[in-house]
Amino acid sequence: MLLPRFDYLDPKNLEEALDLLAVHKEDAKVLAGGTDLLVRMKKGLLTPKVLISLKSLNELSYIKEEAGCIKIGARTPLADIIASGPVQDNARALSQACEKVGAITMQHYRGTIGGNILQDNRCHHYNQSDFHRSGHQACHKNGGKTCYARENADRCNSTCQSDGSTALMALGAKLVLLSKGQERTVDLDNFYTADGIMPHDMEPHELLKEIIIPINGARSAYKRLAYRSAIDYPIVCAGVLVRPSDSQKDRIDEARIVVGAMGRAPLFLAQASSSLKGKKLDDTDAFKKAADASMDSAATFAVHNVGSTLEYRCSMISPLVLQGLKEAASEK
Amino acid sequence: MSDHTLIGTRMPRVDSRAKVMGKAKYTADLKLPGMLVGKIKRSPYAHARILNIDTSKAEALPGVKAVVTGKDTEGVKWGVFPYTRDQQFIQVEKARYIGDEVAGVAAMDEETALRALDLIEVEYEELPAIFDPMEAMASDTELIHEDFPNNINIHVNIDTGNVEENFEKAHYIREDTFMASEESYFHAEPYAVVARFDHEDCLEVWCPNAGPHMKSKPLSNSFKIPLHKVKIKKIAIGGAFGGRSEICPADYICALLAKKTGKPVKIVFTREENTIATRQGHAMITTHKTGVDREGRVLARESTCYMDGGAYSSTGPIATSVPFLSMEQAYRMESVRYNGYRIYTNKPIRGMIRVHGRGFACGVDTQLDMIADHLGIDPVEIRLKNSRQPGDYTSTKSYVSSCAMDETIHKAVEKSGFKEKWGKLPPFHGIGIGTNSVQTGFPMGIRGGSQSFIKFNEDGEATVMSGVVDNGQGNENMLVQIAAEELGLLPEDIHLVNADTETTSSDPGSYSQVSTFVGGHAVKIAAENCREKLFKVAAKVLKVDPQELAAKNRLIFVKDDPEKSIPIKKVVRISLLNFTSVNAEGGYWPKVDMKREWVKNPYGQMCEAFSFGTTIVEVKVDPVTGQVEVLEATAAQDVGYALNPLILEGQFEGSVAMGGQGGMLTEYHEWMDGRCINPTMLDYKVPLACDMPRINNIIVESIDPKGPYGAKEAGMSIAMSAAQGYSGAVSNAIGVFLDSFPLTPDKILAAIKEKQTRQLKQENADKTEGN
Repeated sequence: MLLPRFDYLDPKNLEEALDLLAVHKEDAKVLAGGTDLLVRMKKGLLTPKVLISLKSLNELSYIKEEAGCIKIGARTPLADIIASGPVQDNARALSQACEKVGAITMQHYRGTIGGNILQDNRCHHYNQSDFHRSGHQACHKNGGKTCYARENADRCNSTCQSDGSTALMALGAKLVLLSKGQERTVDLDNFYTADGIMPHDMEPHELLKEIIIPINGARSAYKRLAYRSAIDYPIVCAGVLVRPSDSQKDRIDEARIVVGAMGRAPLFLAQASSSLKGKKLDDTDAFKKAADASMDSAATFAVHNVGSTLEYRCSMISPLVLQGLKEAASEK
Repeated sequence: MSDHTLIGTRMPRVDSRAKVMGKAKYTADLKLPGMLVGKIKRSPYAHARILNIDTSKAEALPGVKAVVTGKDTEGVKWGVFPYTRDQQFIQVEKARYIGDEVAGVAAMDEETALRALDLIEVEYEELPAIFDPMEAMASDTELIHEDFPNNINIHVNIDTGNVEENFEKAHYIREDTFMASEESYFHAEPYAVVARFDHEDCLEVWCPNAGPHMKSKPLSNSFKIPLHKVKIKKIAIGGAFGGRSEICPADYICALLAKKTGKPVKIVFTREENTIATRQGHAMITTHKTGVDREGRVLARESTCYMDGGAYSSTGPIATSVPFLSMEQAYRMESVRYNGYRIYTNKPIRGMIRVHGRGFACGVDTQLDMIADHLGIDPVEIRLKNSRQPGDYTSTKSYVSSCAMDETIHKAVEKSGFKEKWGKLPPFHGIGIGTNSVQTGFPMGIRGGSQSFIKFNEDGEATVMSGVVDNGQGNENMLVQIAAEELGLLPEDIHLVNADTETTSSDPGSYSQVSTFVGGHAVKIAAENCREKLFKVAAKVLKVDPQELAAKNRLIFVKDDPEKSIPIKKVVRISLLNFTSVNAEGGYWPKVDMKREWVKNPYGQMCEAFSFGTTIVEVKVDPVTGQVEVLEATAAQDVGYALNPLILEGQFEGSVAMGGQGGMLTEYHEWMDGRCINPTMLDYKVPLACDMPRINNIIVESIDPKGPYGAKEAGMSIAMSAAQGYSGAVSNAIGVFLDSFPLTPDKILAAIKEKQTRQLKQENADKTEGN
């Protein structure tokens, strides 16, 4: 399929990139690896006038430990994250999630962590060619007023299938967003709108600079299901984190359960998570209850729009969360 | 056979290097001077009357060179058989599926062509669409084609008689229904076509095909030009799998645009077009009723199959028959009745596919396993009790000469450790066996045979001409291997000219598994004839009888005195100086029953040889997620004779991937109102290399008396038996006989849960009783 026409801009440094974003705003899209953006453009889902490439911005590619945190530049290739010792040691869920994105070649040469987080939501009624989408009314995300995934839905129910976001939300990550002359830091928890059309709470002139993951002795895991072992989005996934108490090493001080590929954003399940506070690290019953509670909460958000069956996807939430919790809790 | 130098060896394919280096040219790679880009306007409605088409805006767009609609077609309808002519290449009255061709454009570039498509205004009146074949068949009024009552496109009825009587005699009878959804091929190469009319008004066409002569005739008919003026040219092809057996409307549209513009035109399908607007495998609902005697021998079987045919006939009569034929070849049955119905729906067109009817085949084998379970015998025993034997006649009266079905079973059983594992594996760990048979050829009338020409060049090398096409299975190598062997040359001495209707003679094409058996055979005979001519000349020089000679390594030598030899090159030159021809021809026509016809008379000799395959699969099912891990697949096939084990193993492995791993676990289409939801490689789950299990390949040889060197069909019996082996293994692992294919995790998990609930109820009932 043919890419629509666009102007290609290649800023040489961060400042130049932010200037260009400030000028072109919504006419522009940022091009990192392109594995999400270019595919959508080819399908005619997106026709930006300008693509601002991050190719020359090596300054956005780094992994460093600083002030009790891991800081990852947004343009860092997924392969670098997978290979990173600090990430493996302190944020294993992210490492595991990145390993599942696309295929090894994409992780090496194309896919970036920023692109993975900022990938658009998906729906098998929307991520289709112009031809496929013609002949019936446009859906919400396509500029219309219909939803093919959920009858009578008044808004878009597209699904966030980012592996990275689900893992990072479990890790309690923050995002650093830049715009010309400004910088803001936002919890990933609060980064999502409740709108499948524009799922990210981000201005068109903003650029994702960095991901910050706290190092706090927590253990984490990421689990996902897909049809194939590569080149496949998750149909359901879970990122979990358990942080043992400083005083009682065998008890959980904080837990975070996040379920992905089930809603417009990764779903942080606060109740299920907090139910684990004070529980022992080997309390399988508590894990099972939390996993079931996660399933009950998360399942209400899901619609049938990313393959398999809705019933199956929902029923897999609990086992994935449970597996994740067990794995995270037993991490040495 | 040991005196062969090339035949039987693991000779690397002559075409591999160019393909893996990216140097091979496929249709989409072609660039001709002045070439235009063609695009096809397709119906976005599943069923709609075409009221008006306004092309004026598109024609006025700068850069647009031609727009064609159904008005330009003279209304000719295409069909593989005289009684299935139901498809116009561009629709005039109505569109019958989402993707049906309604117009074509040729423009300077792709961007302009795409804009022109948008500017073509088609006024439709939407009609009620039918997507469910059973609903379609129940309707008297909603007809997709007016002259086909109840939307029944094809009805194949086969009845050997005595079915009722034998059911009466049966010790045990069961009736089960199996479902399977449609599947796609996902050829590596999306469909593409380049067409041009040359200065002599000859139509030249490049396109992927499974037989160039199957393309030239309909084009000749449609354009009302002589056959010799239609030149289907040789081009590298990235897969067919049954989906490229006939003319594609794009071929005609491309040629029409070329005619109208006087320029070459290229149409390249998107992946979505390749999925929805070529062919798909049929979805089907099959009921098998089988009666056996005490030992498990099948006395009577009645099979009824409803196939979702989509919008047009395509190869319908063949596709409606082959699932049944594969079964009747594989298994003996005292009596059998078959009713196959192919039903029109407003969905993409269904055709032939490598696994002919996964629902049908897996149904037969699952039911055999059920019967074995009831009788207390194992799946291997029941297959051996019913397996085809050499010297048999099939139920539809085909004589089976070579047959090593039992040997494939025994060898696969031994290699896989089936006997040691059956019934002894831990929970959720299973093993299954599938057996099947594929025909080496169909009756194809005047196109049933193949002819080859060989000419020697003065440097002692040879040009071999053959109509055989290579879609990726290695046919070109096969021809070179045979020619080099018979002529005593090295593979690099052979220049192959093939699959080109201008220079090569009629050939049945590759889609009936007959390329080696018929096309390779023709080359073998041509080469033998050519060699005979050379031997006559050489014999004079060497002063021996021609019968004492042999040829090898570019030399003709005396068999008993190899030192006495002469280079072939020298023989060629001597021949030419003595006004002796060094060219030869050869042809092969299989002796089949020409009166056999798919619908009207489905009895008589189908083809000269049948292949037989067994696949045993071992799996582990995750009881929590329903996901299947395949530990090992063991594939054994009776291929007659292995011309090249290296290529055969590749075919076996591809067959396990397509028939088993993909066909049974992940591949199916999802629909919304006739719209295919998963037309792309991302969304349709073809397995990747990293998904594949370890595969044990076992080549079994039976030396077919008619096949070249004893060879016959190879590979497809594995694709079909792999499907059966996979389904058997999963059923065995979870202890439930599954009846809906493919076996996706949701279905597997549902079956496990249902079984657990049933067991729990039973336990409770037992307890209550105990109280």
